[in-house]
Amino acid sequence: MPLEQEVGYLERRAPVIECKQLGKAFPSRQGVVHAIDRLSLAVCQNEFMVLFGPGQCGKTTIINCLAGLEPPSEGEVLLHGESMEGPGPDRGVVYQTIGLFPWLTVMGNVEFGLKHQGVGKKERREKASHYIELVGLDGFEDSYPNQLSGGMRQRVGIARAYCIEPHVLLMDEPFGHLDAQTRYLMQEEIIRIWEAEKCTVIFVTNNIEEAVYLADRIIVLSERPATTKAEYVIDLPRPRDYVDPRFLRLRKEITEISFSE
Amino acid sequence: MTQYKNSTRVICGAIAITAFILLWYFGTSGTQLGNIMPGPVKVFRSFARSFVVPIGKYTMLGHAAWSFTRVIVGFSIASALGVVIGLGMGWSRVITAIFKPIIEIIRPIPAIAWIPLAILWFGLGETTKYFIIFLAGFFNVTLNAYHGATSVDQTLVGAARMLGTKNNRLFFAVVLPSSIPYIFAGMQIAITTSWATVVAAEMVRSSEGIGWLIISGMEINDTTRIFTGIVAVGILGFIFATIMREVENRVCRWSKKSDI
Repeated sequence: MPLEQEVGYLERRAPVIECKQLGKAFPSRQGVVHAIDRLSLAVCQNEFMVLFGPGQCGKTTIINCLAGLEPPSEGEVLLHGESMEGPGPDRGVVYQTIGLFPWLTVMGNVEFGLKHQGVGKKERREKASHYIELVGLDGFEDSYPNQLSGGMRQRVGIARAYCIEPHVLLMDEPFGHLDAQTRYLMQEEIIRIWEAEKCTVIFVTNNIEEAVYLADRIIVLSERPATTKAEYVIDLPRPRDYVDPRFLRLRKEITEISFSE
Repeated sequence: MTQYKNSTRVICGAIAITAFILLWYFGTSGTQLGNIMPGPVKVFRSFARSFVVPIGKYTMLGHAAWSFTRVIVGFSIASALGVVIGLGMGWSRVITAIFKPIIEIIRPIPAIAWIPLAILWFGLGETTKYFIIFLAGFFNVTLNAYHGATSVDQTLVGAARMLGTKNNRLFFAVVLPSSIPYIFAGMQIAITTSWATVVAAEMVRSSEGIGWLIISGMEINDTTRIFTGIVAVGILGFIFATIMREVENRVCRWSKKSDI
């Protein structure tokens, strides 16, 4: 599909989550640090949007603002056109550090959200089992996180976020701590999961290959303070091939844009 | 692999204990030392007999039960109150500001230093012992619980809020469970100090318990009885520590590294 047409198609739909002129500044010993500067973006229903940016450009801060875990200094975050305050189960977060509750089993972690929203035991067990199966962990329901490998833990993290059936999934470099092999596997897996249960995703990464492999659309972020530098619609067919010439061309182009001043 | 390690541990332990007892045996048979220190055979025979023939008012089991009860009562109150105040301190800066200075000042005072005062306040009965043992355990539990509550991983708090946990439930959903390993570490230290303290307290003023057994041995110049008491202190202390460790292993199974 030609680029303009694709963008037009996305813009016609109402965004699920958007931020307008988002700004975030922190006081620090070296004075005020501007982490985000007038960042605007909108993500549509079931879109897989990747925020790609260099190391410490404030990507986690963007996720925290979108999740409502940090209040923005400027601008606003809108969910279905309405401004929101504080975190809530309408936005599921998958953390880089995974952040499972170590005292709960896989089942306990995945059903945690539903339990705290007052969903009855039978119903939440059923739902949680469904998502545990979806991420490929059936049989590990009663394992504790410390009995699982890194990749398996992050599968639990994904199932936990999915299980609250959020309007948007926010993923903050979820595969950042995994070894290269597991990372490739998890990239395939996250696409498989997302295609099985469509969901709106904002995925943050500093890995260009991961960005091109996963994204419907990539937003290239600048160095701190983070703001939009470029935007790409990736219309390569899925499953994508890491060494497809078109894949490599996009990868090169986006890398160059990202590093240009 | 694990089995090999286990058998090595058991064999080495057995050899070391045997060597120790042999050294004790030969060191005390027919030597000058033997005049002031009973040999192992004598001590263990007396220890075994103490289960049947009462020393003072009770047999060994009776004395052990007295000491055991005192520890359990004092330790339980110390643990319950310590967890509440410690977690409370971790939860609220105001509570920290109120309790922390007092605790920091009282904590370095050894519990046995309170014995004379406790006797004047509570008399010679059980309350005094409970109070002393409470003091021996309380600060360890409190400060560990406090430390646990302040070391909660903020990602977990964020995750719980993201998953829809109301702020007023965060304490029971995240803070309490993630503090449990710290609380148990505190209780582990507390039970050991409590046990040491009950023996000291009974030695100062009491007419039953393992501490009394030891001090009564001194009063009648019976070193064998003293050693019998000391052996009992060692064995019971070991039992306490083992029970605590087992409970901890059960409750905190999730916090231990384990093989896949």
